Amino acid sequence: MGFEIGVDIGGTFTDVVCRADDGSVRIAKLPTTRNDPSRAVLAALEMAKRDWGVEPTAIHRFVHGTTVATNAVLERRGARIGLITTEGFRDVLEIGRQMRHQMYDLVLQPETPVFLAPGRYRKEVRERIDAQGAVLVPLDETTVRQAVMDLTSAGVQAIAVCLLFSFLDPTHERRIRSIIAETHPALPVSLSSDVDPAFREYERTCVTAFDAYIKPVVADYLANMEHGLHTAGLSVPLQVMQSRGGLMSSAVARQRPVRLFLSGPAAGVIGGLEAGRAAGFADLITVDIGGTSCDIALIGNGAPLIRSEGVIDGYTVRVPMVDVTAIGAGGGSLAWLDGAGSLRVGPHSAGSEPGPACYGRGGPDPTVTDASVVLGYIDPQHFAGGTLQLQPNLARTAIATVAGPLGMTVEQTALGIHRVLNAQMAEAIRLVSIGRGIDPRGFALLPLGGGGPMHACALADELGITAIVVPAHPGVLSAAGLLGASVEHEVSAAFPRPLASLQPDHLDAALQDLDERATALMLAEGTAATDIRHFADVCYIGQSYHLEVPLDSHDPTMIYAAFLAAHDQVYGHSTDVPAKLVNLRSVHRAAGGPVAAGATTPSHGAPPTTRSIHLVSGSTPAAIWQRDAITVDTRIPGPAIIEQADTTVLVEPGWTARRTKGDALLLERTP
Amino acid sequence: MIDPITIEVTRHKLEGIANEMQSTLLRSSFSPIVKEGLDASAGLFTADGQTLAQACAIPIHLATLIPVLRKIIETFPPDRMHPGDTFLLNDPYTGGTHLPDIAIVQPIIHRGVLIAFSAAMTHHQDMGGMSAGSVPTNATEIYQEGLRLPPLKFRDAGTINETLVAIIRQNVRIPDTVMGDINAQVAACSIGARRLSELADRHGHNALTAIFAELLDRSETMTRKALARIPAGTYRYTDFLDNDGIDLDRPIRIEVAVTIGPNGIHIDFTGTSPQVRGPLNCVPSGSLAAACFAIRALTDPAIPTNAGCFRPISLHLPVGSLVNPQEPAPVNARTSTIKRITGAIIGAVAQAIPGRVPAASAGEMALVAFGGRHPRGGAFVTGDLIASGSGASAISDGVDVIETDATNCMNLPAEAIEMETPIRLNRVALRPDSGGPGTHRGGLGTIREYEVLVDDVTFTHRGERHFSAARGMAGGGDGARAHSAIHRRDGSIETIPSKTVTRLMRGDRIVLQTAGGAGYGDPADRDPAATAADIADGKISPP
Repeated sequence: MGFEIGVDIGGTFTDVVCRADDGSVRIAKLPTTRNDPSRAVLAALEMAKRDWGVEPTAIHRFVHGTTVATNAVLERRGARIGLITTEGFRDVLEIGRQMRHQMYDLVLQPETPVFLAPGRYRKEVRERIDAQGAVLVPLDETTVRQAVMDLTSAGVQAIAVCLLFSFLDPTHERRIRSIIAETHPALPVSLSSDVDPAFREYERTCVTAFDAYIKPVVADYLANMEHGLHTAGLSVPLQVMQSRGGLMSSAVARQRPVRLFLSGPAAGVIGGLEAGRAAGFADLITVDIGGTSCDIALIGNGAPLIRSEGVIDGYTVRVPMVDVTAIGAGGGSLAWLDGAGSLRVGPHSAGSEPGPACYGRGGPDPTVTDASVVLGYIDPQHFAGGTLQLQPNLARTAIATVAGPLGMTVEQTALGIHRVLNAQMAEAIRLVSIGRGIDPRGFALLPLGGGGPMHACALADELGITAIVVPAHPGVLSAAGLLGASVEHEVSAAFPRPLASLQPDHLDAALQDLDERATALMLAEGTAATDIRHFADVCYIGQSYHLEVPLDSHDPTMIYAAFLAAHDQVYGHSTDVPAKLVNLRSVHRAAGGPVAAGATTPSHGAPPTTRSIHLVSGSTPAAIWQRDAITVDTRIPGPAIIEQADTTVLVEPGWTARRTKGDALLLERTP
Repeated sequence: MIDPITIEVTRHKLEGIANEMQSTLLRSSFSPIVKEGLDASAGLFTADGQTLAQACAIPIHLATLIPVLRKIIETFPPDRMHPGDTFLLNDPYTGGTHLPDIAIVQPIIHRGVLIAFSAAMTHHQDMGGMSAGSVPTNATEIYQEGLRLPPLKFRDAGTINETLVAIIRQNVRIPDTVMGDINAQVAACSIGARRLSELADRHGHNALTAIFAELLDRSETMTRKALARIPAGTYRYTDFLDNDGIDLDRPIRIEVAVTIGPNGIHIDFTGTSPQVRGPLNCVPSGSLAAACFAIRALTDPAIPTNAGCFRPISLHLPVGSLVNPQEPAPVNARTSTIKRITGAIIGAVAQAIPGRVPAASAGEMALVAFGGRHPRGGAFVTGDLIASGSGASAISDGVDVIETDATNCMNLPAEAIEMETPIRLNRVALRPDSGGPGTHRGGLGTIREYEVLVDDVTFTHRGERHFSAARGMAGGGDGARAHSAIHRRDGSIETIPSKTVTRLMRGDRIVLQTAGGAGYGDPADRDPAATAADIADGKISPP
């Protein structure tokens, strides 16, 4: 029998999901080996062989979600790069858009990633292309050779090139690449016309510089990983998750490393999408509550929302990404009293070290997790599958420090901490939804992470949501998502022209060009697209923000109608003034395997026990179920707790839980 | 006694409602100034007009709705307000800020009782008057600035005042856009009213208004505690605006005496210039916005922002001065004034808490606007807002080319300007040697060079810091002054005296250099490695 393996490397744990050809699924969590993540992967393969009998030669697919790109930026481990720009525009990377993020701070911080290429590593070349794509000043190759010599003798390990209007005519950028290759054939080069051929020079320069910065790191990492897999006896190509939520081969990833940002969270959203689909829901809000943050994503009509840019270490980077919004609220969020004696929760967190007070690692301050222990939601003996013995007395002591001044009991205060956190998260979810033109009431809630399922009923009640889907393995959903994802390649190009003067044959030709490039990328993966979609970025003339519109037709009238519909959904109105095209995009996809979460874990039928828990309505006995004891015929009315190794589900009064055929738990409002 | 958890939960809901109102406002507005400039804000106010929760993307909006609410309550007695009523005003002399800012206010009436107001302020793209966009730098009377709307009822129990709509439509250059944006404001207010009524259903309006009072008191307590940590005393600061755009040789004095004491913070503007002929006058809400920004920046950022934070503020604004002008003085360019007032208040308080406050930022947001005929047909108008350098602090250099204090605007990409207009940018660069020297160097200004590619372009330039520098602190040097010039095609060069409205011909170039932030600490104490890095990176010239 053959196997597929998905490995997601997170900051703390490396999650492994193994799916056999018969559909059975096994999961494991291993500690991440930070200095060489490939060691954890090799350890996972060894464990799979030892514990599961999975021979390396029987593995026919290996998919990987990685933080290498993001970590290279966070830890400033990228390459020393040089940046080549049009004469007069050397400082664009440093000036940026001049807006600040912290409005009320007196001591300001730079808002642009100057560390990528400080002034001494930025060189200008004489050339100019105008806004119509015509060459105004031909490329002066002497200035190019001088710039390359200056940069290479300064020791740069990669070069980024961003010239004005190169998205209209890439000739000068390509010529610069050739000139670099003449003297330094092995030096990695990133051209803005390849990385992000779209207008706005700061945003394009920034993403191109990031691409060059992480290129050598990503290449080394992937080579190391491939070598390790080869040594372990695997003979399949390595596939990695992109920030857009599709897979690509490591060979292509080396060429477009910037597409690996936030690969892990993207995999989580794809995992959520697959789990929701298996339970019969195409419209989902995923809420991943971890220790320090809560990540919110929307899935509409079976597809994740994609945004055209994301945030890496506080810098906005124009890479298409699964639209995930993070807020500073999680199990480790600290409860504290402000100057007027009000109870506040977050945004500071106890993190994983020292962690919540109940971890017994010296953290004195009360957290949300401590509240969960006091309220009886978490069984101190069986936290994280019994790997960590919690100390409820420490949780009580910590919460008592804020309960005293509030004049409340420890239990009331613990409930208060949950209520305040839930109010913050509910408002954040509402804002994310309405900001994208979505009414959350029609969506199902898909809680993830160790903390998600404990808060799901409260959040759903606040938001008017009537269905909650808890996947079989919410703690390893990213790894599961890897196995469910499609191979996907996206190629785009600037195509600025008014919709009114659009000639369909020009559009056909431009899309054909994009399709050829996407097909080549798919071929490099050894696969072919089963699904090809075209999109256009469209905006009203005179406005510079745009909307992505599916190109179901090449008829300008139909494109315009689709634009108005999209505008109406996102902005609440549309008006029939002229619009223009900005960019074109082609997305090629080869569908992934069947749903990873489709495991059939045997039910052992252990009867539920009872324990007292505290709810807003008062203290009450609740049935305590083990997840694997629940069969498809079981109906669990709240109040109840469902425990499993990677999470705890709180079924509040008014809700009933049952198990779906796809092995998820479905919580519905009790009629 | 209200349960303290319910108070905190309600606070999050109120902030959530304000954010939802703001999101609706930004989403459903038509004009780019709202969508991209985020020049709009929305919030909830108590039944007596105090700020309960407000979402704003630009600090200048912090206080702008406060006098509006006061005026509406004064003009329309609350006991005669009905559900579905909506009020409107934009007149700076009856509670507004400048004419493009229209305020919309809705009473929230729950079971017959007025419990709160929802309100929204939007900078509209045009309000009529002598120039497109309604911010003429050469206005000398408010009548030239556009249509003035005193407090009026826009909807009466849900019925729209069609007379008022007809008057507005007839007086503005882009009636559909203006009415679209007004409707977005009404939609935002309606969402606020609906969600607050739901809260009142849950808690009862008496309990809810008691929570409001408690929330304001708590923020006031925290603000007073934070202010008490600033040594009591009176601190003074004087700074200058370049000129008013009319009398080009006359700098405008801004003087503040900030007294921190047991009663809070009192700001006396005695000594500030009399009102000016040009549009840099600033009605009282502008000085209040500056003071509110200073309070937020100088106290604990974790304090929830509401009227409680602003209670410790009192202002003395001499009648007939720049900060309390009398009709019909023009006011449209008051943003520059608010920025300088904000800097002056912060600069004064800095003396009380040495080390905590950076040296002066240049606080210049230069505005250039070009208008003319596009060679491919039709008119074009484009405006660019350009930042300057921030002040250095005790711990770090100033930031180069960054928005500071009361504003927060983006510049335009060269590629956007060139695709939309017959203007080319030849240069976008840091301005070397413009940061004030110091142990920590002030942030650099920027150089931008625009070249016009057609004849007969109307050009407006509104600068600051051309004639007065951002002042160094603790031995640090001043930032460089701004400088702008027109390089005519024939080779002649005309220096721009901070403000001008003129005509450009094909081949003329504007070279604009914004000011630098001031330095902090003795330059002799600067780390030699930092100086070497600045030289290597081209930020300062080699000695």
